Amino acid sequence: MQIIEEIKKNELISNPSEIQKICLDKLKLNPLPNIKSEYWRLSNKSKFSSFLDHSIKNKETKVNLPYKKASQNIIRLIIGENNSINLEKENYSIKELKEIEIVDYIKKNIYNSDQNDHWSDLLNHCLSSKENILGLNISGIKIPPLEIFSASSPDSFNAKTLILFFEKNSKVDLIQINLGNQNSSLSQSTYLCLEENTSVNHGVVSYGESKSNLLNSLNVIQKANSEYNLGSLHFKFNYARFEIHINQLDGNAKTNLKGIQITKNNDQIATYTKMEFNGPNGFLDQINKSLADDKSHAVFEGSIIVPKIAQKTDASQLSRNLLLSRHAKIDTKPQLEIIADDVKCKHGATISQLNEEELFYMRSRGLTLAEASKLQLSSYIQEVISSIPISKDRWDLLDKILKENNGNN
Amino acid sequence: MVSENLVKDVVTEPYKYGFVTDIETEKISKGLNEDTIRLISEKKEEPEYLLNFRLNAFRKWQNMKEPNWADLGYKKIDYQDIIYYSAPKQKEKISSLDEVDPKLLETFDKLGIPLTEQKKLTNVAVDAVFDSVSIATTFKKELAEHGVIFCSISEAVKDYSHLIEKYLGSVVPANDNYFAALNSAVFSDGSFVYIPKGVKCPMDLSSYFRINSGDSGQFERTLIIAEECSSVSYLEGCTAPMFDTNTLHAAVVELIALDDASIKYSTVQNWYAGNEEGVGGIFNFVTKRGKCLGKRSKISWSQVETGSAITWKYPSCLLLGEESVGEFYSVALTNNLQQADTGTKMIHIGPKTKSTIVSKGISAGNSVNSYRGLVKMGSKAIGSRNYSQCDSMLIGDQAAANTFPYIQSQQPNSEIEHEASTCRISEDQLFYLQSRGIEFEEAVSMMVSGFCRDVFNQLPMEFAAEADKLLALKLEGSVG
Repeated sequence: MQIIEEIKKNELISNPSEIQKICLDKLKLNPLPNIKSEYWRLSNKSKFSSFLDHSIKNKETKVNLPYKKASQNIIRLIIGENNSINLEKENYSIKELKEIEIVDYIKKNIYNSDQNDHWSDLLNHCLSSKENILGLNISGIKIPPLEIFSASSPDSFNAKTLILFFEKNSKVDLIQINLGNQNSSLSQSTYLCLEENTSVNHGVVSYGESKSNLLNSLNVIQKANSEYNLGSLHFKFNYARFEIHINQLDGNAKTNLKGIQITKNNDQIATYTKMEFNGPNGFLDQINKSLADDKSHAVFEGSIIVPKIAQKTDASQLSRNLLLSRHAKIDTKPQLEIIADDVKCKHGATISQLNEEELFYMRSRGLTLAEASKLQLSSYIQEVISSIPISKDRWDLLDKILKENNGNN
Repeated sequence: MVSENLVKDVVTEPYKYGFVTDIETEKISKGLNEDTIRLISEKKEEPEYLLNFRLNAFRKWQNMKEPNWADLGYKKIDYQDIIYYSAPKQKEKISSLDEVDPKLLETFDKLGIPLTEQKKLTNVAVDAVFDSVSIATTFKKELAEHGVIFCSISEAVKDYSHLIEKYLGSVVPANDNYFAALNSAVFSDGSFVYIPKGVKCPMDLSSYFRINSGDSGQFERTLIIAEECSSVSYLEGCTAPMFDTNTLHAAVVELIALDDASIKYSTVQNWYAGNEEGVGGIFNFVTKRGKCLGKRSKISWSQVETGSAITWKYPSCLLLGEESVGEFYSVALTNNLQQADTGTKMIHIGPKTKSTIVSKGISAGNSVNSYRGLVKMGSKAIGSRNYSQCDSMLIGDQAAANTFPYIQSQQPNSEIEHEASTCRISEDQLFYLQSRGIEFEEAVSMMVSGFCRDVFNQLPMEFAAEADKLLALKLEGSVG
């Protein structure tokens, strides 16, 4: 754990910024999360330490983007590549946040958060330099879709931070792509702040090359009457953790979460979600899917917290898992903590394999086993990735995944 | 709101088993060390292997930490401030029920437990445990005719030592967890059941636990062995007097089912829960586990948990035998400041094993009611299935209902399904029932009873009636 050693010895960063200093001081006292806590106990220890076994690289090689910029109607940004943006159009505006705004916002978040639950953010703020923080203020409607890239460079550790403020009444489609390069670790922290009456469709697509690791933390604050839809896909990582914290600050908001994680070989990919309703009339519809093959391990832990104030909350959470190999492992724990009595809350979880009757039906109609299982898998995956914005026309995510999956069959 | 107040009235019903029996008891001094354990063992005239079992457990316990992962908050237990052995003083040996102190019999009469064998109509054999010691077991002769052994653990240690040596601690090892280790070190009595090959136990067996003194802990141990093709239904009930101190109850129950055997274990737990301010009440830390060793064996737990200030209890099944079946049906009701963290563990090890979990939690007052369950499919559990359903009902907006299901699978050829929901007594349904002339309290009781029906259906007849009554009492107030 090279990075932790360096933090302890105070050798990590030569000229730290204000935030970096605060976070370093916090981490020096308590450099690692409590691996016995519920939040971390399933994390593979050797993989976690391999995540931290890199040197930090702030000057990176240019990111090699896998997709061509096909359309002019898309705003593409790459975190860390100094692409300044300042758009003031008739319907909308996108402005960079001032440094002081970013510092204040991060500081506020660090002070209010539990170190164990937000260890990933703390580490991120320690390591992400000013150039690797992108902060935007977005307002208006008919905004062209945003595409934001974050990538690690080969054989190194990179930390990137994204902060987006959505002003009142704005409507945005946003896709975030996290790319893991060979033998690298990426720490990505994202903050979204949705003001009243905003609507955000958010897609997160993360995939890596061999031996790449990812620690992806997403913090969303929703004010009244806002709507937040998330579609996420994580695959091809040696070790990946996707942590989602959503807070409906005043209730009366809508949240839809759809996520899928695909693990193969010896991978471990975990999704942790924490949904807090801090006001009445909140709504949540969540589905999380896992597909575990070979000797891989998929983890899902979701908690829904409904305090007394959150009357009339309507929340449902479903964890659906497919176990494709005898050596793979799936852990799932959807949990409810409810105090308000006038609520509708439910959760469900299933773990099984591909449905044999369906396979038999398709084969009896002339499909080969490979074709039939491919069809089944694609329908399973399609439900989630169809909710990732922009991706439909531009990227054939489904094809990409299926190609990956067939490679080993 | 009117209805809110009514619900409040309805959920406050005094505890009616809170009396203390004034009886001379023999107690040892407070505190726990190796000498205490030797003393207990000596008093019970135990063989050496059992003393070693106790000492071994005690040494392990000293190196263990009290678990804190449950969603429970309680003041620290001082293990040196507890009396570990308390028994009603009586003549050297009891040969028949007539020699039992009449006050004791009276106590059990008051609790509605038939100890006098004249009450044969009930057709339930009872083992009554008062504080630390079993005082009487009924219907012994009738059971012996069928080869069924039903006696206290102390008697079993003397008469069936080979069975105790073979099976004690084989399901819940001495170092299994903090409270099981404590129990293994200091357990005083409990029930022992042995059903021989091919025997269907002719009557329901029942044990009744009564804590009487305020400063002694109760540590009983139950061991049930069902040989091939046998079956038994076992009932357990418990009450305690009202004290404003907390009493510790740490029990261990071990069940073993061999090929084609089936064990049904039902509990109605009604320990004193403390008063409205949360003063007093029993701390209930129980380890219950069954091992389905044989092929097609079946273990079914059903429980109605209404008492105790703190409940920490996870009756579990280890499904080893091919096609073995584990079941768990539970109703947990918490009120005032009660806290319950209860659920089950279904560990599927053998192929084609099946398990069903149905849990109903009702939280009222300021209580916390958590379901915590584990379903695990091992890599050899080919073709295994689990179905879990956890429903919570909230009464009032101060109570908490939590669900923590842990689900793990390593076997693609198995299926796990889990679902959970939360509801409350809806105004619409209340209005509907009331508009048809049903009293408010009765309507609430009907709805709670309907909510729990899936579980009550699984209880033996006598218990189902008792459980329904108990819930009604706890919730109904004026009607009950």
